[in-house]
Amino acid sequence: MRILAVCGMGLGSSLMLRMGVEKVLKAEGIEGTVEVSDVSSAKGEKADIIVAAPEIAEQLEGHSARVIAIKNMADKNEIKEKIMDYIS
Amino acid sequence: MLLDLLPEERIATKVKAENWREVGRKVGEILLRDNLVEDRYIDAMIKSLEDNGPYIVMAKGVAIFHARPEDGVKKTGMSLITLDAPVEFGHESNDPVKVAFAFGSINNEQHVEAMSQLMTVLMEDESIDKIYAKDTSSEVFDYISQIISNN
Repeated sequence: MRILAVCGMGLGSSLMLRMGVEKVLKAEGIEGTVEVSDVSSAKGEKADIIVAAPEIAEQLEGHSARVIAIKNMADKNEIKEKIMDYIS
Repeated sequence: MLLDLLPEERIATKVKAENWREVGRKVGEILLRDNLVEDRYIDAMIKSLEDNGPYIVMAKGVAIFHARPEDGVKKTGMSLITLDAPVEFGHESNDPVKVAFAFGSINNEQHVEAMSQLMTVLMEDESIDKIYAKDTSSEVFDYISQIISNN
């Protein structure tokens, strides 16, 4: 599974989101890679899931990946529930 | 590592700010004072929020200001302020902001480990409320050190 963590510039919140998602994948024993990208590059990239803040997720509507908006990046439960929802 | 980028001197507590722009300016001025960024970097951090919305309020009560390396970063570093009174950023679920960080990075790789540690701090239960409740920068620094060494 390829997950893309996206933010406006690809070096701040996307990086933090990547850390949060990696922690959840590890805790749940899910195989997957998480990469970061800025919002304009992300439009041309392939992925299974894109995670981003709601404002950024809106800009990626229509992407072939499932776009998941994460409101609170420090909330492990929110990240877990939304990713598990895609997998199941 | 986080604490190398965020020494005690770059932490300030009970900072007064009227609105989100002032929060950005005050947390950015610490980076400017330590000659880590140019003045235009602070403007770029604020503009990023104007352009993209308040997504930098990435967890409850926390804003993380930043812009791009080419917006005037001289040296990688981070600053942290706790606010005298919480400030609304216009975020639908994470307002109001109690704690704000600013960081500048000279490239996209250098701060990866520090951001990972910062995420560990933010994911610790109630860490933001605990940081907000501290009176001095040394108490904030010690608390962050403690979380990092426990993880």
